[in-house]
Amino acid sequence: MATVHKPAGSALTGVLRSPSLPVILILAAMIVGVAALLPLVQSSGATSTAGDIRALEQAKTDWRARVRALELEVAGLGSLNRIEQEATQRLKMAPPKETHFIRIDVPAPEPRRLPSRYLPRTTEPEGSGSSVFETLFGWIPRP
Amino acid sequence: MGNRRGTVTWRIWTVITAISIGALVVTGRLVQLQIIDHQRYAAEARVTQVSEETISDRRGALLDRNGYPLAGSEDAFDVMVEKRAWDDSAEAAVAANTISGITGRNTDEILSIVDTAEIFEIAVARGLTYEQAQAVRELRLAGVRLFESSRRVYPEGNLAAQLLGFVGRDNVGLTGLEIDLEGILGGAKGTVTFERDGLGNRLALGESREVASQPGANVVLTIDRYIQRLAEKELDATIKKHEATGGTIIVVQPKSGEILAMASRPTADVTQPDLSDESKLALFRNRAVTDTYEPGSVFKLVTMATALDLGEVGPYTPWYDEGVYTANGYSIRNWDFSRNGDQSVTQILTKSLNTGAAWLANLARQERFYEYVDRFGFGKPTGVGLSGEAAGRMRTPENDPENWRPVDLATNSFGQGISATPLQIAMAVATIANDGKAMKPQIVKEIAYPGQRKAIQPEAAGQVIAAETARTLREMMGVVVDGISSAFLNVHGYKVGGKTGTANLVTESGVYKPDTYISSFVGVAPLDDPALAILVKIDEPKGVPWGTVVAAPAFGRIVQAALAYMKVPPTEGALVSGLQ
Repeated sequence: MATVHKPAGSALTGVLRSPSLPVILILAAMIVGVAALLPLVQSSGATSTAGDIRALEQAKTDWRARVRALELEVAGLGSLNRIEQEATQRLKMAPPKETHFIRIDVPAPEPRRLPSRYLPRTTEPEGSGSSVFETLFGWIPRP
Repeated sequence: MGNRRGTVTWRIWTVITAISIGALVVTGRLVQLQIIDHQRYAAEARVTQVSEETISDRRGALLDRNGYPLAGSEDAFDVMVEKRAWDDSAEAAVAANTISGITGRNTDEILSIVDTAEIFEIAVARGLTYEQAQAVRELRLAGVRLFESSRRVYPEGNLAAQLLGFVGRDNVGLTGLEIDLEGILGGAKGTVTFERDGLGNRLALGESREVASQPGANVVLTIDRYIQRLAEKELDATIKKHEATGGTIIVVQPKSGEILAMASRPTADVTQPDLSDESKLALFRNRAVTDTYEPGSVFKLVTMATALDLGEVGPYTPWYDEGVYTANGYSIRNWDFSRNGDQSVTQILTKSLNTGAAWLANLARQERFYEYVDRFGFGKPTGVGLSGEAAGRMRTPENDPENWRPVDLATNSFGQGISATPLQIAMAVATIANDGKAMKPQIVKEIAYPGQRKAIQPEAAGQVIAAETARTLREMMGVVVDGISSAFLNVHGYKVGGKTGTANLVTESGVYKPDTYISSFVGVAPLDDPALAILVKIDEPKGVPWGTVVAAPAFGRIVQAALAYMKVPPTEGALVSGLQ
């Protein structure tokens, strides 16, 4: 009994070569179904991104609020009332009972000189201007 | 058969007709909705689907001349509750209790606010801090959201309270500089328009449009917080010591007209303003510019300046005091009813002789006297830019010919029958300190817009008296101070000049209140090259009312501390080696 060997792929190839109407309709339905999902995926992604943006905006607002609160907290720490409170209560300081005014008759000292490393150089360092090659080939006349 | 076909045809046509009529009705309705009434329905839909919120940026800060903030803003948060989301009373009670735990507001109060609300969403707690807001947000309560707002903070407390003023709940200035500089501090409001869902939440992909808000500019004032605090402490101490009802201290830099300190009492708490009692609103008034008073003997400086500048007298011009000066049938006497005989013009100031001042005004003649008074800035606002500034009252033959009498010239010469604001008096003294050149009083030093700074330059108001006259007058003011006991006025290291004043208090009905006085002292320091012009005015002190006793000590202490703070070198002649 002779058998006809028919490769598995040939059936699909046959269908694709001459598709029947039901197959076309099924394929079209599948394409439409997948296509219908695309806006959903896109919308979901956009919503998610919008949520992320809003969360970041919220974080930005929070940080800004925190920075401003800290700015004013620093200002409050530097207020005269607090400075006086710290001085009198923590450091046990008190206003002076006497003021001394001293007249100094000697001339004021000259302005303190800067260390030499901060001063501009007045002379070139020794050996500057002649490299090793200049020393070696210095005998060659220049053009 | 043919009959049956006819019946079917008839039925079909009936159905077709019915469908056609229905389609026509629907089409007609669509035409009405989409074309004829489109605008109306579109507008109604917009109201229900689109929200518009006003957004405001940070309000500018008020800084002192060295950049220390006197008033600033920090972000605050209001807790908003959507009424519909709290329909379930049990769940609402739990949510309200949770919010109460964070905000400190009573649970019943929160529930009551939501119950009685007639709007979609209502605030149940306002002005939450950043930490409190975070705690509320993390609860994720249904129908609860946070609305970003702003809160005014005063790092120096109530320093310069009346000058600064305060803002309302909507973050708009209501008094003081907060309202005067609203256009600068407030910035520009913006709007955000967005589509919302049925619960009122913003749609993530909905249409939205935003007009950005602009932050307010920071304003740098001429006020120095150290000198302002010094003035306020001295004012409080003096009022307490003499059981006075109030007072004012103004410190001015004569060369620029910059106001370094402006303090008045009684004052109000701007950090938590109490607006429940209408009578307390008067406490927010900046009395240094809104209230007038009879300056009394300090006005003799203006009379003396006039006579000196006109060349009618010099410091040593002799004059004979008979103890009484008659003008227009009225007798003018000295404050102590004294008769002093031979005197110099300088002694008119040192002894504060009313008769001498009347004589000087008579020498100057009325037209020229009032011309100088006008040049010193009396009878008109100084133009400092603070709202509610009074002009003061000066009756002259020109502006009130029917009521002015010759005796007015005599009484005006020693500061009676006229009214002036404390700022006008302080600026007149500053003019003498600035070699006769009047400067416009200045309270704003710089405006710092985002990315741009605008410095306000000092503005000269004119040369009132000659520089030589001003220097001579300052020397005479120095002699006045030399005559004051060191128990009342003793400034180490600096030579200062000044003039006392003790005036009767005038009631609102225009009559003098018996045994009630205003004690004052005006002075300049250092005398040779003044860095400060100061007015100290104390209202209704008990006991001895003399300006020497009441006001001069406060002047001395302010000068002593302020000049050292400003690093003004001590006057050479006043220095001695060793201990002072």
